[in-house]
Amino acid sequence: MFGRIRERYREAKHKFANVRVDASSYGPIPGKIKAVQARLDEIFSQCNDLVIKEISCGKDGRIKILVVHIEGIVDRRLLNQDVIHPILDYLPSVQSEDSSSIYQQLSKCIVISSDIKEVHEMWQAVNFIVSGDAVIFIDGEDRALVVGVKSPEGRQVEEPDTETSIRGSREGFVENLPTNMVLIRKRIKNPDLKMEIMQLGERTKTDICICYIKGLANEEIVREVKERLGKINTDAILDTGIIEQYIADNRLTLFPLVGNSEKCDKLAGKLLEGRVAIICDGTPYVLTVPYLFIESIQATDDYFDHAFFASFMRLLRLLALLTSNLLPALYVALVVFHHTVIPFKLMITLAASQQGIPFPPFIEALLMIIAFELLREAGVRMPRPIGQALSIVGAIVLGEASVAAGIASNLMVIIVAITAVCSFVVPPLIRATMLIRFVFLAAANFLGFLGIMVAVVAVFTHLCTLRSFGIPYLAPFSPLTAHDLKDSLIMVPIWAMITRPKILRQQENVRGVKGSKRQEVDKGRDSQKG
Amino acid sequence: MTVKKDKGRKALLILLLIFPLLLAGCWNNRPLTEINIVAGMGLERTEDGKILVTVQVAEPGAIQPASAGGGSGGEKSKPVFVASNEGETVFEALRGMLAVVDKKLFLSTAQVLIIGEKLAQEGIGEILDFFERDHEVSYLVDVIVAKDATPDELLRIESDMDTIPAVYIRGTVENTAARGTVKKTLLIDLFKDMDCKGRQPTAGQITKSSDKEVRTEGLAVFRDGKLAGWLNPYETRGFLFADNELKGGIVNVPVDNGKAAFEIIRSKGSVSVEVEDGKPSMLIIRVNAEANVGEYGSGGRLDSLETLYMLEEKLGEEIGKEIEMALEKCQKEFASDIFGFGIYLHKYYPKCWKEVENDWHNIFSKLPADIRVDAKIMRVGLVINPVGKGE
Repeated sequence: MFGRIRERYREAKHKFANVRVDASSYGPIPGKIKAVQARLDEIFSQCNDLVIKEISCGKDGRIKILVVHIEGIVDRRLLNQDVIHPILDYLPSVQSEDSSSIYQQLSKCIVISSDIKEVHEMWQAVNFIVSGDAVIFIDGEDRALVVGVKSPEGRQVEEPDTETSIRGSREGFVENLPTNMVLIRKRIKNPDLKMEIMQLGERTKTDICICYIKGLANEEIVREVKERLGKINTDAILDTGIIEQYIADNRLTLFPLVGNSEKCDKLAGKLLEGRVAIICDGTPYVLTVPYLFIESIQATDDYFDHAFFASFMRLLRLLALLTSNLLPALYVALVVFHHTVIPFKLMITLAASQQGIPFPPFIEALLMIIAFELLREAGVRMPRPIGQALSIVGAIVLGEASVAAGIASNLMVIIVAITAVCSFVVPPLIRATMLIRFVFLAAANFLGFLGIMVAVVAVFTHLCTLRSFGIPYLAPFSPLTAHDLKDSLIMVPIWAMITRPKILRQQENVRGVKGSKRQEVDKGRDSQKG
Repeated sequence: MTVKKDKGRKALLILLLIFPLLLAGCWNNRPLTEINIVAGMGLERTEDGKILVTVQVAEPGAIQPASAGGGSGGEKSKPVFVASNEGETVFEALRGMLAVVDKKLFLSTAQVLIIGEKLAQEGIGEILDFFERDHEVSYLVDVIVAKDATPDELLRIESDMDTIPAVYIRGTVENTAARGTVKKTLLIDLFKDMDCKGRQPTAGQITKSSDKEVRTEGLAVFRDGKLAGWLNPYETRGFLFADNELKGGIVNVPVDNGKAAFEIIRSKGSVSVEVEDGKPSMLIIRVNAEANVGEYGSGGRLDSLETLYMLEEKLGEEIGKEIEMALEKCQKEFASDIFGFGIYLHKYYPKCWKEVENDWHNIFSKLPADIRVDAKIMRVGLVINPVGKGE
């Protein structure tokens, strides 16, 4: 299966490579081998990783053959076994002086590879060389043979660090595009699973794969994805993160409008819901569109677990989301403005914890939150071995010492800690929450609950205006789609979830057979999503 | 070029819009550290006709000293301080207090509002107006009237039971309210009854029982906003039976050779007025009480129906007696309808009420009463073979 997919991948790549016109005009391949070599030297000047192997053949070795590739990115074993050895074996038997017949023989019988192409333009040849194929030039021929010997080097498939789950597959995507495509294909064995490859980035020429299930995905969305990808005009695509920023409906919003995942089973689930995935060579993060707000509180595990637990966890995640956004703001509003609503005993506690703190609660909260964000960022950036030192410093300085020194109150430390814990419960929204929290905090300090209310309304208004590939971001709540509420905050059991989310407007909506819960369990499992 | 200019203008506009927000920032914005948390308040009339306001302020730092090591490293300070100030009006006295205390007084947290006996006798309408108007006072504060002690004295006691005396006082009010010997009166109840002609307000009574203790039992009865007199604990309970406000309590009934104590579990009381020829002719009080036998002084097994019926009857009589005492006192001594017979008339005989409305005090105090109590014994306890007597 691996081979089949790799083959198709190569075909598609070939197609796109031909379509795309390079800006530079290297001209056609010159007939003389000397000229070819000169051109290559010129193009690849200072590229010491270029390997040009010259083989002489024919009578008196008059006909010269050049095998050109770049060191390291070709599979050397494959190159030797498929290309060099056969050529060397074949050479003694060459009698003809005719370069054309040699070319014919080489391409038809000698080189044992399933992936052979013919190119006429120099820029095409260069393209293939830089993407890891070997190119064979023959003296006297104005065409060249491209042999696919790219090495599938890279990381092993392993469990993703960023998304862990208790149940479900431990396979995560890797940096290699063909491997990733295989990982998806392995889960959805169906010719309807389409994988279209294109190249993006003038300079990096990164392979991008658009992946969807024909018949499930909305054709319009697929078309829209292609169109938006086609409009990207940049010289470098290094990560799906860059693509994400180009194709998002609203490029300035803090909220994610494009989903990403490292987990194969999650992606398969999304595809089966009718979403479109964008895989990019060189990054394990795969994009999914359209991305809705509700997806940020859905987890892969939910679908593998009892619906009651899953529903409870979802409500908990929503609570965590609200808490991480609003808790510091509510606290500040409470202690600065709304003393009236605090019960007497609590007020004594609050006032006692505030006593001796030189800063107003707002500044205090700001300091503590920034200190926490610093710690978090340091935890991400620093070299692993220093981690322990950081956690000790963080725990002592932030927790104990700041309270003992009278810079922050006990309660504030608790509030910030709860806020921090809650923010990690909903990973897709960590960044949005991080900034919006400050807005709420400032609003609370200026106008109390009123300010918080104004800010909340503003944020919700903003959320309502958002679209992800034309689909309202807050669906199924706004617009209210009763049909899709089955998989929102409360989740119905998987055997009862016989239809896909309607809001995506798939062509085919039914997952299983209605009313046959017991018998169709196995069938239902096929359409489980991640 | 123009785009850049536009952007600059937008940025400037946003900046200008932010400034007013900062200017308005401090409006009504007070950190907790900048207010004095008032735990209790007292009002009394001084000899020279001024109003004496006493506040008891909680010191959070002294109550929970474990927190923040800020500032005061001295010896342990007191959990509360009491300050008082005189003034022509409540508001003036309160504001004048700022000359004595360091931070602005925050009244919402007040647990109790103690009204001095003298002030109550002269009328509380005037001072209640301030509490009704001020936005900071919580309507849910407990109002109690001090008997034989000034609010100032009561707020200055140092209780061993709770670090904050006002909280201790509120606790005792809640306890006695559950026992049925005081009526928990919130400020808002007082407002409601003050404006109502068909019902006179009451408030709890507080006395000083020792240097460190107070006693909240009994009821202060008002008439036209002035303190008319006091009901003792038993009368108070009688009133509460009729008022359908009784939460529980122990009623003693004399039996053959000793006393039986009943615990009231549930009680339902209602008042109404009988009207004849368009004139009120009789006050009617109906009470249904359910009780458990808590103590049976004369011993015995309490397994015969006759005994139980007898006890039920006696219990009913006893409750009836308490109600009668309360009603009689209100009619004869105070001429103050705290039961709300007037409200009943107003509701069901509005025409009749209109006629008697202005002279209700007099009419009320002369009407005969029909009190009927139906008491039921629910449980007699676990004892099968009681020790001691009987057997």
